[in-house]
Amino acid sequence: MIKRYFTLLLIVLISIRLSAQVWVVPAENDARKSPFAFDDASRKAGSEIYMTSCKSCHGEPGKNNAVPLVPPPPDMSSVRMQANSDGAMQYKITNGRGTMPSFKNTIATTDVWKVISFVRSFNDKYVQEVAAQAAGGASVANVNIKLNWLKEQNQIQATLSAPSKDKGILPVGGAEVKLFAKRYFGNLLVDEARNTDAAGVALFNFPKDLPGDSAGLVQLVVALSNEAFGDAKRDTTLAIGVPTYRPPLNEQRAMWNVVSKTPIWLLLAYTIAVFGAWGFIIYVFLQIRGIYRAGSEKNTESAE
Amino acid sequence: MASEVNTDFLHDKKLDSIAADILRPVGITQGFIVWMGFLGISLLACIYAYYIQFDKGLIVTGLRDYISWGMYIANFVFFVATSLVGMLISSVLGLIGFKWVKPIARIAEIIAVAFAAIAGLVIVSDMGRPERLPYVFMYGRIQSPIIWDVTVVTTYLVISTLLYFLPLIPDLAISKGRMGHTPKWLQKTYEILAVNWKHTPKQYQILLKAVRIMLILIIPTAFAIHTVTSWLFAVTLRPGWDSSIFGPYFLTGAFVAGSAAVVIMMYFVRTNYKLDKYLTEHHFDMMGKLLVLVSIVYLYFNINEYLVPGFKMKTAEAIHLKDLFVGDWAFMFWSVQLLGLVIPIILLLFKFFRKPLSMFVISIVVLIAAWFKRLIIVVPTQDHPFLPIQHVPKAWMVYQPTIVESAITIGTLLLVIIIITVLVKFFPVIPIWEMAEEQNEIDSKSKE
Ligand code: HEC
Repeated sequence: MIKRYFTLLLIVLISIRLSAQVWVVPAENDARKSPFAFDDASRKAGSEIYMTSCKSCHGEPGKNNAVPLVPPPPDMSSVRMQANSDGAMQYKITNGRGTMPSFKNTIATTDVWKVISFVRSFNDKYVQEVAAQAAGGASVANVNIKLNWLKEQNQIQATLSAPSKDKGILPVGGAEVKLFAKRYFGNLLVDEARNTDAAGVALFNFPKDLPGDSAGLVQLVVALSNEAFGDAKRDTTLAIGVPTYRPPLNEQRAMWNVVSKTPIWLLLAYTIAVFGAWGFIIYVFLQIRGIYRAGSEKNTESAE
Repeated sequence: MASEVNTDFLHDKKLDSIAADILRPVGITQGFIVWMGFLGISLLACIYAYYIQFDKGLIVTGLRDYISWGMYIANFVFFVATSLVGMLISSVLGLIGFKWVKPIARIAEIIAVAFAAIAGLVIVSDMGRPERLPYVFMYGRIQSPIIWDVTVVTTYLVISTLLYFLPLIPDLAISKGRMGHTPKWLQKTYEILAVNWKHTPKQYQILLKAVRIMLILIIPTAFAIHTVTSWLFAVTLRPGWDSSIFGPYFLTGAFVAGSAAVVIMMYFVRTNYKLDKYLTEHHFDMMGKLLVLVSIVYLYFNINEYLVPGFKMKTAEAIHLKDLFVGDWAFMFWSVQLLGLVIPIILLLFKFFRKPLSMFVISIVVLIAAWFKRLIIVVPTQDHPFLPIQHVPKAWMVYQPTIVESAITIGTLLLVIIIITVLVKFFPVIPIWEMAEEQNEIDSKSKE
C-alpha cells in the first residue's frame, strides 16, 4: 500500500514538474483557423482518424482512460485540451513533443483539421471561427488539381485552378503544394514543396530511382500544404518507378513462419523424436498387458 | 537392476521381515490425517489466491511490461530441474550397476513424478488467460521451443510414472495378505494395480525388459527436457540468456537440486518410518559424495557462465553482470553461490558432514538456494531490455512479487508435497522384492 502510494506520488510530482513546462506555440500558428466549417462529415472523418492514430495513447474522449505516460496525454474533453486554440492544436499535432509524435508526414493538414473538428465535438461551449477567404477571389473550397507526367523532363506538373464568383475558372497562384509517393507507412515527400506560379503551375523533379511495385507503379499524391487555400488533393498512379519484386517474407519455410511452413529438417527431427519415444512407451504399455496375460497362463508353474 | 531375477527370495523367511518393516507405515494413520489436513487447508488459501488471479488476470502479480517472467517461470525451471534426479539415480547410476541406489531409486522416482506433474500446472499459473491453453495445441508452431518443452515434459512425466510403477508391481503382489492394517479400498487398489502378478519367471522377464527400455529412454528424454527448458532462454539475444552452454549449465544445476531433494526425502522417510535399516548411513554417505560431485560440475559451469562474459564485459552484458556482482542482485547472487554451492562442496568433502542429519540440513540450504538461483537466471536479464520503453512509470520497470503470486507459488509446492505424501503413505517406499533379492544373494554367497 505504502509503496503504491509513493509510486503514485512520484508520478504526480513528475507530471506536475513536466506539465509546468509550457508548450509554446508561435503566435502565427496560434492564430490559424480551419479553412472550412466543421460539420458532421468532418467530425465523422476526424473520428476515424482519431480512432486509428490517437486513441492508443489518449484513450476514448471523455473517459479519462489515456495511457499513463509521463507527461500524460490529456483527455480530449479535458479543460487543458480544449483551452488550446484551433491553431495551437493543429501546431501541436503537426509537430509533436516528447512522446506525443509528430504527424507532419502521416496526416495531411486538412485531415488534422478534421481531427480537431472531432475533438471540438466534446466541448459544448466551442464556437468555430472559420478562416477568411483566400486572396485572389478564387473560392478556396473548390481548388482543382490536375497532374501531368512530363516524360522528357522527368517532371510532374501540377496545375491548380478554382472557380471564381464572376470571372469563371481562374488559376490559383502562390499556393504551396507538395508531392508525395505513398509508401507502406505514411507518405514519402518527393522533391521540395513548390509554389504555383501565376498560371497555377508547379513543377516537381521526379527521381529516376524511386522503387515502384512489380510493374513500376507508384501512387502519387499532390496536396495543398497551405490550408488557407482550402482542402485539395489529387491521387494518381503512374508507372514511373523502378519495377521491384519483393517476394513476401513469409513465402519460404522458416523458423519464424507459420506451422505449415516449418523447415523440413525440423519437421523430421521433431516427428522422429516424438514417434520414437512414444513408440517405446506404447510398447511398454503393451508389455504390462503381457504381464497380465502371463499371470493367467495355467501351465506355467507359479513361483509362489 | 539385474537382467535376471532369482526368485528364491520368495521362499526366504527374510522376505517376511523386510515386507513387515516396509509395509508398517503404509496406510492411514493419525499423523497422516493431521499432516494432510494441514496441507489441505494451506492449499485452500493458495487456491483462493489463484481464484483472485483467475478473476482479475496477471495484474494482481508483480509482472509488468519489463519483467514478464518472474517467480512463476523461475519456479517452473526449478520444478523441471528437481525432477531430473529420477533419471540420474535410477538410470545412470542403476544401469552402471551401483547397488546402493536400489533403496533410493523409488524415492528419486517419486520426486521425478511429483515435480514433473506439477511443472505443467506452474506454467498455467503464468498464463493470464488460462482458458486459452488449448490454443497452444491448436495453433502452436513446432518451430517454437515452447512446443518442444510441452512435448518433452509430457513424455518425461509418462516415462517417470512408468519407472515408478513397473518395479512396484511385484511389491504390490507381495503386499497382498500382509496389509491387514490398511483400509479395504487400498487393498483393492493393490489388487488391480498388481496386474495379475504371480511372480512367474516369464513375468519377471517381461518386467525387466520393460524397465530396461524405460531406463534407457529416460536418459535422452531427461536431457531433452532440461536442455529445451534452457533454450527457452538461450535462443534469445538477451545478455545473461544468450549463452551457448545454457543446456549443460541447466542440466548440471538440475542434478544439484534433485540430489538435495532426494536427501531431504530420504531423511524424512528414514526418521519417520524407522527405516534406518534400509536407508543407512552408508546411503547418506554415498548421496553426499554424489552431491559433491554434481555440485563441483555445476560450479565449473557457473565459472564458465560468469567468468567468460565477465572477462569481455561487452556493453549490454556488463550492465547485467555488474547488477549481479555488485549491484541490486549482488546479495542474492553471492548468497546463492556461497550457501548453495561453495560451502556445501567444502563441507561435504569431509565424512563428518556426510551423516544423515547434517546432510539433511545442508540439502535444505542447497534446495532453497537452487530455487533462488533460478530466480537469478530468469529475472535480472529483463531489467535491462535492449529497447527500453521510455517515459513509463517506475512500477512498469521493477519486479515486485505480490502476495497473491507468492501464495500461488507456495500452492504448487504444496501440491508436490501432497503427491509425495500420498505415494509414500499408500505404497511401499522402498522396493521390497529388490531388498529381499539382494539379501538372499548375500546370504547364499556367505553360505558357500
Ligand atoms: C504515442 C502516444 C500518443 C499518440 C499516438 C498521440 N498522442 Fe497526443 N499526446 C501524447 C502525449 C504524451 C502528450 C503530452 C505531451 C506533452 O505535454 O509534452 C500529448 C499531447 C497532445 C496534445 C497537446 C495537449 C496539450 O497539453 O495542450 C494534443 C492536441 C494531442 N496530443 C493530440 C493528439 C492527436 C490528435 C493524436 C492523433 C492524431 C495524438 N495526440 C496521438 C501522446 C500521444
